[in-house]
Amino acid sequence: MDLLLSEEERLIRDTAARFVAQELIAREVAFLKQKEPFVPPGDPARRTLDDAIEKSLTEQAKRIGLWALELPEGAGGSSVGQVARVLIYREFGRTALPFEPPPIPAALAASPYARALASGELSLALAFDETHKTGDLSAVRAAYRHRSGGYELASDGMDVIRPDANLYLLPALEHESGDVGLFLVERGAAGVRVDSAADLNNDKVVARLTLSACAVPRDSRVGGGAEAEAVIASEQLRIAARSLGIAMRCLEASLEHARNRVTFSRPLSSRQSIQWMLADVAVALRTSTWLTLEAAWKADQGLPYFCDAALAKTRAARMAFEAADTAIQIHGGYGVAKEFPFESFYREARMMRLLYGREAEVDRKIGERFAGTGL
Amino acid sequence: MDFRLTSEEETLRRQVERFVREELIPLEPVFEGAPDIFEGSRWKSRAKVSRDPEVHRYIAIIEGLKKKAEASNLWHLDVPKRYGGREVSNVAMIAVTEELEKAAVPFELGNHVSNILYACKGEQVERFLLPCIRGEKTACFGLTEPGAGSDPSMMAATAVPDGDDFVIDGTKMFPTFGDVADFVQVFARLPGTKGREGVTCFLVDTGHPGYRVVRSIETIAGSEPCELVFDGCRVPKGQVLGEVGEGWKLNQAWLGARRFQVGIRCHGTALRVLRRVAELLRSDSRERERLAPALGHFMGELEALRSITYHGSWKADQRLDVRFEAASVKLFATELLHRAVDFGLEAAGPAAFRKEHAIARAFRYARPRRIVEGASEIQRHMIQRTLFREGTACLELQ
Repeated sequence: MDLLLSEEERLIRDTAARFVAQELIAREVAFLKQKEPFVPPGDPARRTLDDAIEKSLTEQAKRIGLWALELPEGAGGSSVGQVARVLIYREFGRTALPFEPPPIPAALAASPYARALASGELSLALAFDETHKTGDLSAVRAAYRHRSGGYELASDGMDVIRPDANLYLLPALEHESGDVGLFLVERGAAGVRVDSAADLNNDKVVARLTLSACAVPRDSRVGGGAEAEAVIASEQLRIAARSLGIAMRCLEASLEHARNRVTFSRPLSSRQSIQWMLADVAVALRTSTWLTLEAAWKADQGLPYFCDAALAKTRAARMAFEAADTAIQIHGGYGVAKEFPFESFYREARMMRLLYGREAEVDRKIGERFAGTGL
Repeated sequence: MDFRLTSEEETLRRQVERFVREELIPLEPVFEGAPDIFEGSRWKSRAKVSRDPEVHRYIAIIEGLKKKAEASNLWHLDVPKRYGGREVSNVAMIAVTEELEKAAVPFELGNHVSNILYACKGEQVERFLLPCIRGEKTACFGLTEPGAGSDPSMMAATAVPDGDDFVIDGTKMFPTFGDVADFVQVFARLPGTKGREGVTCFLVDTGHPGYRVVRSIETIAGSEPCELVFDGCRVPKGQVLGEVGEGWKLNQAWLGARRFQVGIRCHGTALRVLRRVAELLRSDSRERERLAPALGHFMGELEALRSITYHGSWKADQRLDVRFEAASVKLFATELLHRAVDFGLEAAGPAAFRKEHAIARAFRYARPRRIVEGASEIQRHMIQRTLFREGTACLELQ
């Protein structure tokens, strides 16, 4: 057993940490202080990261290997492995500035779009809405059928976060065989309809994606059920890693505030109620850290890791939510103020708990398996 | 980063796994009805003085197991090499205990040697340490007092230097096996000292003039800790364990390493409870549907406990400061066991409250865990103290 980071892992972690501190957290206050009038979606007055800034951050991140983490170098990615990926997303989780390497699943490595996705020329949305409740493929309803020269996709509607992306990646089911395929579809393709855009509570936009007799070429199938499951597990690890970062930041800021804030002539840090809230966050953070790293390590070793990733995700997202909740409570009115990152973390963590497997569902599956096999 | 056991550790774990499968699991039905005295892990000394033939029947079974374990070189695992042991790592001992805990049989590999006894010097080694390693003697731990538990500044027992001796006066509460141990490791403070300063540890034989066992106290968990009185108890300075005035460090060291064993024991006990629940659900699909989410939740909690237990013991093997990790594990493990047992009872119903039922046993065993060796409140205190001292540095990956 060796739970120290390797030389390479430490280098990657430190690179990401430096970038996040110097480029992202440094811009956070200005970003958070932007006024955000109550306006309809798509209105330019909403609080967003300036385009020029985003572009320059993207270029910097690419230069230092913090981009297209899942794609091999041949496809323009940095192909870092899951442990390193967790270390990277953990750093990006520490800021409320909405910037991180977009997930581009490894299944796309051989796709003709891979290079354009890696360079940022094209963007990708994971249309995995039907997997959010169970965290697996059992509820997939989008359908595919063979047709000459390729496939035909059909879906009577699913939510897609980031609907303005150029490409959608989605799992679809062949009803007769029960086979699940993973498909890459252009937003502009015939039969693709995207409408009813709406704001989400976590500053993202969601829209309704409908596919009616959508014909796609053969090479748009980039994988089967196993690849689709790997996308879910990989997203679960990303969420778990972000959760760790959120909790680290919340804990750090809460400790600092508790040291400085004086009430009734004593610092908050001397109050047991405050001390214990923070102790509980620290213990939960510790357990989530090692569950997440072990799941990622198993993935890198080629061991089965889907269950571990699901468990790490549900626990970590919940833990981050509670860490943000604690930070808000300790910061009082500042905690809910949009000038501070905590309310933003709180909203984000609540959303992460809803993605790629609800807590009760992941728990139920583990329980069923244990009651069924005794393992 | 590598989560695997070393090949040496893995070989040992497999060996213990086999021992458990072949020797212990078949004995589970036998021990299901064993007397209370076999509860917990350190039943040996008390059971041996029992006059109940039933108790001696169980002792004979366990002595047989011990012979087999010795023959397989599984006996002195954590004993240092210089005392004839195998000196395996903390991580290996966690893996060993994890395997042993799979069987509901009160059997430990090795004689219980309080780790502070490795501070023995000179003739203390022959007189106190080696007999404990060989299983010929047992010791009890005299720290807590009627008015002092986790806080050393409240310790009232005194040790007054007098020529080549010390004279110990005071009362010690709750040393487990105080009535049957061969000697006590007792903590007392030098005159005029405060806090953790001046605390000194002495090794005092049972029956030494001025040292009395007043009574034993029955508890919920079947163990019977004692009340000890020291009344002008004169002890030569050769019986000071470690250095004069440095006793509190010994106490800290004793607790530090033990915490991770507590963690994996709570893991094992909770897992056995959940296994019973799973067995009940297997034949009842309606109950299974209802309770599977809660069962799964606790399985996840146990994975979380297991991960920080291994991490902490690995860190201890690197000779790093593990007080923060140890406090986290002690707190999380004992609180989790308590909740898991509570759920187990809810799931299994009143039938599981029969005294000899595994879940009922776990219920009695679990409650004192949140108090002994540092109550949960003390653990939270230790954790927050580190947090405010070091910030999140104590949670950073190294």
